[in-house]
Formats: sequence, structure tokens, C-alpha cells
Amino acid sequence: MSLFRMCVFLLLLTVFLVACNPPQANVSPTQAGIQGKLVIYSGRSEALIQPVIDAFITSHPNVEVLLKAGSNSQLANALIEEKANPQAEIFITTELFTAQSLAEQNVFQSYPPIGAEKLPSEFIGVDNTWIGLTRRARVIMYNTDLISPQEAPKSILDLTDPKWKGQIAAAGSTNGSMQAQIAAMRQLLGENVTEEWLRGLLANEVTFFGGHTDVRKAVGAGEFKIGLVNHYYYYLQQAEGSPVGILFPDQGEGQIGLLTNATAIAVVAGAKNLPAAHAFVDYLVSPAGQELFSKLNYEYPLLPGVPLHPDVQALDGLRLANVDVVQAALEYDATFDLIEKVSLP
Amino acid sequence: MQITAPALPRKFFPPAANRRLAFTAVLVAAFVAIPLVYILIRAVNGEAEVWYRLLNTRIWILLGNTLLLLVVVTGGASLVGVSMAWLTERSDLPGRSVFRWLLALPLALPAYIGGIVHLTLLREPGGFIPQLLQAFFDQPVYTPSPLGLWGAAFILTLFTYPYVYLLSGAAFRTLHASLEEAARTFGHNPWQTLWHVTLPALRPGLTAGALLVALDILAEYGTVALLRYETFTSAIFVQLAGRYDRAAASVLSGVLVSLAIVILWAELRLQGKARYTQLDSHWRPAPLQPLGRWRVPALLLVFSVLSASLLIPVGVLIAWSITAFLDPDTLSAVLRTGSQGFGSYIWNSLWSSALAALLGVTLSLPVALYSVRYPGRFSRFISRFCQVGYAIPGVVVALSLVLLVNRFMPILYATPLVVVMAYVLRHMPQAVRSSESGLNQLSPSLEEAARTLGRNPLQTLSQVTLPLIAPGLLAGGALVFLTSLKELPATLLLRPAGFDTLAVRVWIWAEEGFYMHAAPAALLLVLISAIPLSFLLRREQIFR
Amino acid sequence: MIALEVKNLSKTYPDRARPAVNNISFSLPNGEVLVLVGPSGCGKTTTLRLIAGLERADSGLICLNDRLVASPEHFTPPEKRGVGMVFQDHALFPHLTVFDNVAFGLRGGNPRQIRQQTGEMLALVGLEHLAQHHPHALSGGERQRVALARALAPRPVLLLMDEPFSSLDADLRNTVREQVRTILKSMVATVIFVTHDQEEALYMGDRLAVFHDGEIEQIGTPEQIFAASATPFVAEFMGDSDFLAGEITPQGILTVIGILRQDHELPDGAQVQVAVRADDIEFSVHEAGNGAIVERIFLGAFNLYRLRLDNGQVLHAFKSHTEVLPAGARIHARLSPGHPLAIFCEAGPSG
Repeated sequence: MSLFRMCVFLLLLTVFLVACNPPQANVSPTQAGIQGKLVIYSGRSEALIQPVIDAFITSHPNVEVLLKAGSNSQLANALIEEKANPQAEIFITTELFTAQSLAEQNVFQSYPPIGAEKLPSEFIGVDNTWIGLTRRARVIMYNTDLISPQEAPKSILDLTDPKWKGQIAAAGSTNGSMQAQIAAMRQLLGENVTEEWLRGLLANEVTFFGGHTDVRKAVGAGEFKIGLVNHYYYYLQQAEGSPVGILFPDQGEGQIGLLTNATAIAVVAGAKNLPAAHAFVDYLVSPAGQELFSKLNYEYPLLPGVPLHPDVQALDGLRLANVDVVQAALEYDATFDLIEKVSLP
Repeated sequence: MQITAPALPRKFFPPAANRRLAFTAVLVAAFVAIPLVYILIRAVNGEAEVWYRLLNTRIWILLGNTLLLLVVVTGGASLVGVSMAWLTERSDLPGRSVFRWLLALPLALPAYIGGIVHLTLLREPGGFIPQLLQAFFDQPVYTPSPLGLWGAAFILTLFTYPYVYLLSGAAFRTLHASLEEAARTFGHNPWQTLWHVTLPALRPGLTAGALLVALDILAEYGTVALLRYETFTSAIFVQLAGRYDRAAASVLSGVLVSLAIVILWAELRLQGKARYTQLDSHWRPAPLQPLGRWRVPALLLVFSVLSASLLIPVGVLIAWSITAFLDPDTLSAVLRTGSQGFGSYIWNSLWSSALAALLGVTLSLPVALYSVRYPGRFSRFISRFCQVGYAIPGVVVALSLVLLVNRFMPILYATPLVVVMAYVLRHMPQAVRSSESGLNQLSPSLEEAARTLGRNPLQTLSQVTLPLIAPGLLAGGALVFLTSLKELPATLLLRPAGFDTLAVRVWIWAEEGFYMHAAPAALLLVLISAIPLSFLLRREQIFR
Repeated sequence: MIALEVKNLSKTYPDRARPAVNNISFSLPNGEVLVLVGPSGCGKTTTLRLIAGLERADSGLICLNDRLVASPEHFTPPEKRGVGMVFQDHALFPHLTVFDNVAFGLRGGNPRQIRQQTGEMLALVGLEHLAQHHPHALSGGERQRVALARALAPRPVLLLMDEPFSSLDADLRNTVREQVRTILKSMVATVIFVTHDQEEALYMGDRLAVFHDGEIEQIGTPEQIFAASATPFVAEFMGDSDFLAGEITPQGILTVIGILRQDHELPDGAQVQVAVRADDIEFSVHEAGNGAIVERIFLGAFNLYRLRLDNGQVLHAFKSHTEVLPAGARIHARLSPGHPLAIFCEAGPSG
């Protein structure tokens, strides 16, 4: 049968093409002595961590990085289960509550990276169990073809306004940033208001995606008027040329202020390749690493002195919500119960 | 020599080989049973509070969603499958010998890949087709959304109808012409004959095929997640990804597996009845039904099914792949992600699926030998029990293995072998069925002849039984290989860091909307799947 | 010397109420062909499989060449018994050539010796020219002979043949049967041969064992079995006998078609059944006779007539092929045995 032969031929062709494209040889001036496998569990999606890993591999060519990207809670689950049999060296989260919660369960070991003293102290866990990497804000992005900046909701609480029924996209309950937002709102506004807000979103037929990439693309394509996202998704979509606008919500008097959170990195207790793990953490908090986050992904670097991406609006001058990380981590279970209770998809 | 016959009480002595074989078969069944039993225990022992909460909120909605999708897709796949089979087997449709092949090929496409393609084409308003229509008519034109129930039903129907198509094609072909001729002599017209005689005669087999589709739908993760339709499986996945505790996931899994077991039980009961008349010496092909003025509509129908399920998805994948290969940035991202290259995805896919096929077939052998050579209530129970994998969706296998392996086999934990184990558990039923049908065709006297010619049971197995049932075993292996290659949810949940298969790569890229990146891997996955599939199809009656 | 001794052998299949083989005993001297004959489901094949070791007996003993191979405590697996078996479906290995099939049971010797022995066996059955063919390329008769050669090649103590001719066409069966018997006799093989065909049994066997409901009704030479049936079942099964009611009187045995005079040891007044075959009855057309012709069955050399006596009894009788009589004709039937007939007491069988 010719079909069979055709498949075999195409297979061989692909294998040939793959074989003809060897990875470009890296010049390795430093740190060639650090080697072995480095297993990274990342709550940041692959697309948002891979460029940094690639840069790290370039400077540490003898390290083989094995990445498993997933949701914060899925990987947190895995880390807890693996406590007696640790598999990962590094854990990266997209919010601080999971990091703090795991630290309290002794999943991490202490490591103060080179230059840690320059980081703001509120973004370092007790005993250096986790280290903050970048800061991100929860913003409202909108399609400028569909609504004007004046029309856009000024507060996240306005998202339950029936006039937006069926026109809002957001990330679902598995998304770490969304979970963290709910946890922060519980702390700032109380359980009842938050529950009402969530029920309001459901009543408003908000579409919940698995991740924010879907949200930004849908808003960019005009499928939805409004998206609830982390700030850099707006810039990523804007960079693709879509007609989108950004709004930093809750800036008015009496409002909670802009919700921000931070990604963090931690070295897993029982990690087998500590030299590589430490080198990786060092690299991520170094100016070079921080700049990558800022340059490639429009995030707010935590290391002072690292420039923002020119397009990104600085946080200075914005009213920021003040959330107690330790307290939020302690109440994280209650947050999940609330998500469960309202059946957030 | 003086011999006496003492009057001993009558005892039942199973031959020694039988006892050893039975023991092995029971061991295999126990291996298969572990995840099932574990999940059911976890579900039953679930805290009352969790049950209460779920019963009050999620379960009924999920049950409704799941059953609705199940009914729509099973019905749709039966309708499409039977009509395509009838058109290619029993009508004078032009080009039916080519269509006959092509219509079975969507089995090489995982439904989620088809879903990705159709989603990009149809999605309002950014999709390719809405934009094309808008450019053509100069105004937005309504197109049906590929999302939600109807989108998921559309995609899943397109990629599951081949199960029914293959079964009914074989049935149409082997059915005696005389049966229909008899009906005609009683004054039925051709349509009445089809409705009152032919289809009822095919019913047991078709129902069995439809139930297999139903089991597939219960286990489906990728498509429903992509098209945003919440079923039990996707809800369990969300539970696993979103929560710290797994009580709710276990409860949902328990309900899902119970539902699946009911369907599997019905399917197993029908399996026995679904025997078509064999091609005996009196068989002759039934006369073809002339389509007349329906010829063009019929051709259009077949062509549109084929386009939606095969030509368009493969065409789009090829176009995307070419785009990806022409763009240096995309190409380098496709060929290398961190420390892993594209070759490692291929290699991981191939070896894990191949090992699963090998293990599945090996484990199926004692079960098949026991149930076929020592038929009885117990051996039949063991054989059916080993088919329970059909009823345990990949997410549930993953959930139970995550918890079990780390606790009892920490050495295996976080190795690709756990992924392979999941494939084996999930896909063993196919191996068991193939091995059993191979053995059923082998006369037991061949093995007995080897015994009387001085071979012990093991020598008999290796010198006579295995060489003779090898084609059947190979077919079972090919099936396990094919389905393992396409497997997504268990691989996603169980894979150790750095162990990416082609299916996983497709999913990771597509989930982030990088369709160009995903296309080469998806295309390759389809091409690799086509090889075992074409081998399997050539064994099917309708392709001889 | 005794090749096989079977004592009190019994076997009941797990899901059956009645025993398949019920307490049977017999022995078989070297070089003899014993035919187990009986209707299907009578236990003859089970007996064969018990001897081969393909089934395990519930009780009883089996000795091969004075070696105990089966008892309640002991079981020798088939591969260690040294018996050969020819199966009903021949069971030729389809993945092996004719040569390899025959050589399959020859192991342990050097390859040259095996080649030679295989060649000899193929020559014996006249199939050297097909040595490199696969079984599917052979005719039914050729397959039959390959199966025989394969079973005989390792020189088994005992050859078991399970309905070996049943898969052959009727016209082929007689030829193959003659060839097989010649081969078996030329090798002085000890054979147990199972069949449900009386004619085949009478032709193949040095002795016959008639099975009925898991028990042996009679063992004897073909002549003994045919002429001196021990039980009504044997008489009916082996000779297509009809049974005629009779009463012992001082004059002889009184039946509705006349008095039979022959020696017996039964008391006067005993009720008996007389086994009569078609050649023991004579009849002529007679308006005031004792019965009528039901139908004529033309058998070529003979006409077989089915007769119904006035008391309802049905009998069969031969006439030459030239004597064609119409159905419905009144006839007078009478006994004309050329030899003593088998007589059975009403209460039960007797010799």
C-alpha cells in the first residue's frame, strides 16, 4: 500500500531534517564545572520560563535541565508527595502563597543567593526558604475596537456588572494567579464579599480559560471585550499588534488598590544537584536573569536597578493593595474551599 | 506388575499447568485491579463532607454534561459510521474502494489535534473561516462555534466514527445476501429491507461498537478541555491541577469509573452475541444498491466527512509545519526546547509506546491462554476483569498511580516506567482481546499434538502456540502502541520532568496557542500512528 | 507382553453430572489394534485422552509397558508417556513443512539420524516427494498420512488414533483406511483407534470395545461382537438389529412371526427380546399375511424393505435388487436365521 510507504518516507524525511539541525554549539567561558541534571518544577508556563532556562544553559552548557511545567498546585501536590523521595531541585511559583505554604511544610531548604541582600526583604521567605523573582499586577485588558478606555471597568468588583454579561474572559480555578487573587481578596474584603464577587462572575457568564494566553488572545481577537489578566499578557498581546488597552483597577479612594503578587523560586529539600540548583537561583536573581524577565516578558524585576521594559508602565505612583503573605498562605486552604464552594471552573 | 485400584474419593485434579497458568492469570488481573480497587476505596472512604459538597454542587451537573455528550457523540458516530459503511460497502458510490481506506484513517488522528485545527479554523471571530467569510461578504457572517457541547460533539464524532464504521463495514460485507433477498421476496422495498432486516441483523455488533465509542468519550480529556466543555474527566483533571487535597478527585473518579463499568459490562455482554455470519462457501457478495440521483449528494456527504476528519486537519498540519520550518525562530524552538531536542520527543513516544505494547501483549497471554484453553466461569471472569482498563480513564489511572507508586514502589516513582505502566493498565484490554481471538482460531489439538510429541507446556507455548498466534499478538501490540502513542492525560500527569512525548509537546504548545510550533509534532504523531493503523486495517475484513 | 493396562478408570468433567468414563478396565497386548467404538459422547475419546495424559483421571490406574503413568497419586504428563497420537483434525503444525512436522517428535539424536528416520517414515507413508511442502498445500488423504508418520516416527509404545478418518470424504476414506491398516500392521504397532463408525471399527480392529454411557458394554473380536452381541445396545449399535419380543416355550422361542428353535438356558415362560437383522427375516407377498411394506430403500445390490407388522412392530428385511415390491403391499414375514440369534431377557441383558 502506497500510504504505508508514504508515511515511512515522510518519517525518514523528518528524522533527516531533525538530524541536519544540530543544536548550535555554545561557547562556555565560565562555570563549566557545574554539571549534571537539574530538575525544575515550574508553575510558570513553559513559554514564560523557557527563554530564561535557555539563557542559563548557554552559560552552563554542562547542565541538563529537565523541566516539568504545570499549575502551581499540581506541582505543589507533587512536591508534598515526594517529600520522602524528592525528585526536583527547583520549584518556581507564580505567586507567593504556595511558596510560603510549602515552606511551612518544610518542602524547601534555605539558600540565600548571591545578591539576595539587594532584594526587597518582603520578597524573601523566612530563612531564605524562597526568593522572589518578579512582580506582576492583576489588570483589566480590553479590546479597544469594542470599548473605549472610559467605558472599561475601573474596579475588579465592577466585573460583576450585568452590562458585561458574556463579554469577560478570565483564567480558571487551576491558575495560580487567579487563586492568589481570590486569596488576596479574601484577606482584604472578607470571605462574604469575595464569595459574592465569584458568584457574580459566574452569574455574568464569565468564560474561564485554562490559562491567560487564551484570555489575551481571545480579547485580542475581539472574542471578548474584557479580560482579567496579569499585566504582561496585555503587553504580549499588544506586541502582536492587537487593538488592546490596559487598565490598572481599584485606584480610587476607598478601593483596595492594585493587586500584585510575585513569582518566587525555591530550592527543594533533598535536592540532589545543589551546585546546579544554586547556580540557577543565582542566575535568576542576577541582573542578567532579571533583565530577561523584564525584557522578554514585561515583568517588574525585583532587583533594584534592572530597567523595566520601555513599554511597561512603572508601578510607582499606583496605589498598591497590601496583602500579608504569611497570613494568606495560612488561609490558602480556606481559599480553595471557597473556590470549591462556588464551583469555579 | 500387580496393579490394584484403590477406591478413592473422586477428586477434581486440575493439571499442574492449569494451576500455574491460573495463578499467573490471577496475578495479572490483580495488577489490573489495583488502580480500580484503590480509586473505589478512596471514593467510598471519601469524607462525607466532600461527598455532600460534591453531591450538592458538581456531580449532577457533571453527570448531565457527561451523559449528554456521550449520547450525542455515540449517536452521531453511529449514524456517520453506519452510513459511511453502507455507502462504501453496499452502494455503487464512485471511488468507494479509495474512500473505504480513507474513511478509516481518522483513527490515526488524536481527537485533540483535530480539535486544535477546527478551533483555529472556526473560532469566532478570529478564526480563518469567519474572517474569510467576512472578507468575502464584507460583513460578519454567523458561523457555528466550535466550543462547548456542540463543538466537542462535532469533533469527537468526527474522530470516533471509524470504530463504528469498521465494525459495520465488516458486518455489511459478511452478511448473507440471501437474508436481504429473502426480505425482498416478502415484498419489502430496499429501504424497508435496510431498516427492518439489515440493520437489526447488525445491531449487536453495532451496539458493541457504539459502547466502545461511549467508553472513549468518558475517558476523553484533551478535546473537552480544549473546547471548554466540562465532563467528569476534565473536572478530575482540574481537581488534580487546582487543589492540594485529592479527596474530591477521588470521589469524582469513583463515580466516573462506576459509570464506565456499567457501559463496559454491557459491551462485554454484547461481545458474545456480536458474531457475524462467517464468509462460508455459500457466501457471495450482495448486489450493490444503485444510488441513482442520490449519487452526487452521497459523494458530497462522504467527501465532507472525509474533509472534516482527515483532509482538512492533515492539510492544515502540513501547511503549519511548512510555515514552522520556513521560520528560523519557530524552527529552532521546535527542534530544541531547553536541554531536549525534537529527536528525544520522538524517541520517548516510540519507546514508551513500544514497551507498553510488549508488556501489554505479554501480560495478556496468560489471561488469554487461561480463558480460552480452560473455559469456565472463573476464567471468563478473569478475562473480563482484565478488560476493565477500558473503563478507567487516563486521568484516573494517573491519579491512582501517583499515589500508589510513590508509596509502594518509590524506585519507580518519577520514572518514565510509571507512564508505561499507565499505558499498559489502560490499553491491556485491546491486547487481551487480540490474544484471545488469536487463540480461539488455534485448534487445541495442535498444542496437544506437541505434548504427545514430547514437548512440555513451556516448549509447546514457545514452539507451537506463539509462532502460530503471532499475527494476532502483533495486532494486539499494534493497537496498544497506537493508543499509547495518542494518550494524553495520563502522560501529562505522570511524566517525570524532561520526559516529553510527541503528544505532550503538541499539547503544551497548543495550550499556549503556539499552533505552528505544535504542528510538526502533531503531523509526525499522525504519520507514526498511520503505520500500525495501516497494518491493522489490512487485517480487517473490509480491506481484503 | 501387555502394552497397556487400564484399571477402574473414571473421569467426570467438573460441570457434568454424569461421569464421562465410568470405572472401565481393559488391557492391550503388544501389536494389537483395539478399536473403541460407540456413539458420540460415550466416553471413548475421553478414554483415549486419559491414556495420552491430556486429561487427568479422577480414579483408576493406567500402566504403559508396566510403567504406572496415572493413578490418583501420580500423573505422568503427556510428553513423558511415550505415546503417539493422531488427531481428528490431524493437528499438523501449519508453520512447519511436512518434513519438520514428521521430525518434530524426533529429538535428542544427531541431525543426520533424525533426517534419516524422518525420510524413512515419509517413505513408509509414500510422501517423500512432499517433504518440503507446507500442510495447507496437501490433500486430505496426504495430511492424514503425514499425521500418521509424525505420530509413528518416535516409535511410540502405543499409538492413539482419534477418529482419524472423520474429516475425509467418504470415497477417500476406504482407500486411506486400507493404507493405514497396512502401515500399522507392517510396523506391528500397538494401537487404540477411536471411531463412531461400526463398519470402520469392524474393518480396523483386531478387537473391539463397544462403549456406551461411559462404560464398556463388550470387548471382543469383530466376529464375536457382531455375531454374539452381549447386550441389546451392542446388537443394535453394531448390527442395526431390530428387536422382536418373544416368550420361552418348550417348543422354542415364540415370536409373532414364528418359533425360533435354538439352544438357550432360560426357563419356560421367560419374556425375551430377540435381535434380528435384515438378513434374518424373509417375507413374501401374501394378502392374508402378518404385515405390510412401509417403504423400499434401494441400496444398489439389495433392496432393503421396511415392514410394519400388524402389532405395530417395525422390522427390516433384504431382498435382491431385482425384486421390486410396492409400498403398502400385504406381506407375510417369518424368521429364517442361518445362525443362532442373540437373545436378551426382558429384565436385562444376558449372554
